[in-house]
Amino acid sequence: MGKTYHDDPEWADIEPIPQDDGGLHPLAAIAYTEEYSEAMGYLRAVMAKNEFSQRVLGLTEHIISMNPAHYTVWLYRAKTLSEIKASLRDEIAWLNPTALKHLKNYQIWHHRQTMIDGIGSPEGEPEFISTMLEQDSKNYHVWSYRQWLVKRFDLFNDEEERRWTEGMIDADVRNNSAWNHRWFLVVGGRNGQALTEDKLKRELEFAKREVRRAPQNQSPWNYLKGIVRHQKLPTSVLKDFALEFADIRRPDDIYSSHALDLLADIYAEEEGSKEDAKKALDLLASKYDPIRAYYWNYRKNLLDQTETVA
Amino acid sequence: MAASPRRTSRSPSPLSSSPPTTAEQPPSARLEEILNSENCIEELSSASEDDLYEDMGTATLEEQANITYLEKVRIPIHDSLTTETSEAQNETLEIILPYLEGNPNDLPLNIFGIPELQRKKHIAFLQQALGDYPGAFALLDASRPWLVYWSLQGLSAMGYDISEYQDRVIHTFSLVQHPSGGYGGGFGQLPHLAATYAAVLSIIMAGGTAAYESIDREKMWHFLGEMKQPSGGFTMAAQGEEDIRGAYCALTVLSLLHIPLELPPSAPARAHGLTTFTDNLGPWISACQSFDGGMSAAPGNEAHGAYAFCALGCLSIMGPPKQTLNAHLDMSALIHWLSARQCSPEGGYNGRTNKLVDGCYSHWVGGCWPIVEAAASTPNLWNRAALTRYILSAAQFKKGGLIDKPGKRADAYHTCYNLAGLSATQHTYTYEETMLEELGGSELDAPYYWKVHGLHGGERVWGDGDVVDEVHPIFVVPFRAVHDCRRYFEDMKSFDRGIARTD
Repeated sequence: MGKTYHDDPEWADIEPIPQDDGGLHPLAAIAYTEEYSEAMGYLRAVMAKNEFSQRVLGLTEHIISMNPAHYTVWLYRAKTLSEIKASLRDEIAWLNPTALKHLKNYQIWHHRQTMIDGIGSPEGEPEFISTMLEQDSKNYHVWSYRQWLVKRFDLFNDEEERRWTEGMIDADVRNNSAWNHRWFLVVGGRNGQALTEDKLKRELEFAKREVRRAPQNQSPWNYLKGIVRHQKLPTSVLKDFALEFADIRRPDDIYSSHALDLLADIYAEEEGSKEDAKKALDLLASKYDPIRAYYWNYRKNLLDQTETVA
Repeated sequence: MAASPRRTSRSPSPLSSSPPTTAEQPPSARLEEILNSENCIEELSSASEDDLYEDMGTATLEEQANITYLEKVRIPIHDSLTTETSEAQNETLEIILPYLEGNPNDLPLNIFGIPELQRKKHIAFLQQALGDYPGAFALLDASRPWLVYWSLQGLSAMGYDISEYQDRVIHTFSLVQHPSGGYGGGFGQLPHLAATYAAVLSIIMAGGTAAYESIDREKMWHFLGEMKQPSGGFTMAAQGEEDIRGAYCALTVLSLLHIPLELPPSAPARAHGLTTFTDNLGPWISACQSFDGGMSAAPGNEAHGAYAFCALGCLSIMGPPKQTLNAHLDMSALIHWLSARQCSPEGGYNGRTNKLVDGCYSHWVGGCWPIVEAAASTPNLWNRAALTRYILSAAQFKKGGLIDKPGKRADAYHTCYNLAGLSATQHTYTYEETMLEELGGSELDAPYYWKVHGLHGGERVWGDGDVVDEVHPIFVVPFRAVHDCRRYFEDMKSFDRGIARTD
């Protein structure tokens, strides 16, 4: 039996509010353990009287240990910490092992964000995030939290952050979360600002190098196309590169369906190359990416429509 | 390199129901490859001759057809570089392939040689999901509204009459409606937009005056006003996270309950100059479109299938999809990204680039297509048959309920969203120029212009017994529930808009 409250003198002044399920039997009802049920009764009681205290922290910790997905408890805990001006550093120290135990939990990450926002420093956070990503390298909440950190503490020009992202991509070039973070850091988080010539060259070179490691990996292809679109460059700046992996004149030697896809875009933009665009799309539909045949054919039809308009 | 798929003795089906191939049936090249492969012999070396015979015996005509199909839709290019991602993908494919090739669960097959929808078993599974849970399920204590919604929607999709639950639905949610408005996950829990969304959809599925009247709309208005942020988005709870789920859930409730578009006087966003729920919302959703064309939880995050549906759903409540999607999104990039979510050769969807197939995205991504097709005025952008194969062959749990992928347990969430995805493969919907059933004509009425256009006429692999009901493309409940609800609130003239009091 875990912690109880009814026989604890510290809680003698509280009249718990038990769960009231009224007349009919509710749907998807949970037969709570006595321990959970009692703790929740005390939580409802302290919430009803807006109590913020040290003992509320203990109570919320107890309930979180039984149900870490309980947003009400997390939100009330955050409010309590703020009201009693508790040490947020202590809170982070307590939070670390809890987060590692419950990797997929939404609430923990939002709570952490609230705490670090209050502390006003990202110190130690990159290291902690790395520990988390070792367990689950594509955890959505962890990456989103990292993006928040970059924004909150303006780490956009932090070389360390960019090198770390590059390290994550090196470790698994197919980790799309790492690619997204790089985009956010270098391009996306900067209010639509165009890249300088230096940075543009650096990013294109980087993504091309990563494509060469595994040409059938879509992430760096998307990154290249994103950069070109962001800079408002013609897609044809990628033509020579795409031709390294796919050439419609050598239809049996295709090393990347994504190169064919890109070539179709390039030919579609090029004067008089509609037939080549169609050939690329036909190759995708019939051989190199047939599950998306409907989509490739749709792209083909669009070519004819633009012809009609022209 | 991608693991070469092979049938192993792990997944034999009983000889009794699968007659062995005879000499007249030409064994596929694939089968020869299997029998000649050293790997296979190694794997079978410890098996008795009977096992070997049984394994050969699984190559029915249906299986040969499946194997031929899978070869046809496979991307023939494989990079040699091995990373964590490619290892996970290869392992997963090896687990899934036997279900796409053969019939390891020994389910009855439809006329296309694909497992039939196990309707009775899935109904029984969801009925149980609405029942009691032991104490160890405390982890779900904040998600009970979801359990009710997923189960009721899944049952409805399978044509099951849920009216027997009507009173209990009303009662269940009356206990978790918060005194300050909105719904919490359980008794005494704070109001939350996810719980509120699930509660409102469950209540309107139950339907009837008592159900509609159980919702305190005026307090709901105030609660939603609290959630609206100066950025244009919505938080899920007071001091909670702001993401695209919040916007979709809030607009769903606003539209269905016909709540005024003006922010309540108490809304904190008013201090920042906002006056309506949709102020700044379109640009905020635009900022959620990521560099690869997909939609993310919040600006800057990674594109993700579930958030994509929320984003498109939200835009389709704000106005006709043809207007709102084209105004706020790069459509060609979006369609490219959505299309890339279909895994090959599995046919099911993943949620993000280079992630694994999961049955729940049958809806989150599959459900985006009716909206996108309406916005692009083009039918048939996606491979419905491939998705149907994944759902029926790989996402049905033998004992009932649907799943993420073979080897996972069934739950109400995956059951609901696999079935919604199956529905999307079978039905066609059109966005009409004129209003239906005299609904709308006022605020946030765009969702009431959708019309069921009949069964999909193209390539199909589902039999008549596998057909599930139509699902409203925006609200993911039956059309009847949507129209009855809005009609009820449309005619309500007595709603006190509160604003008047401040004028």
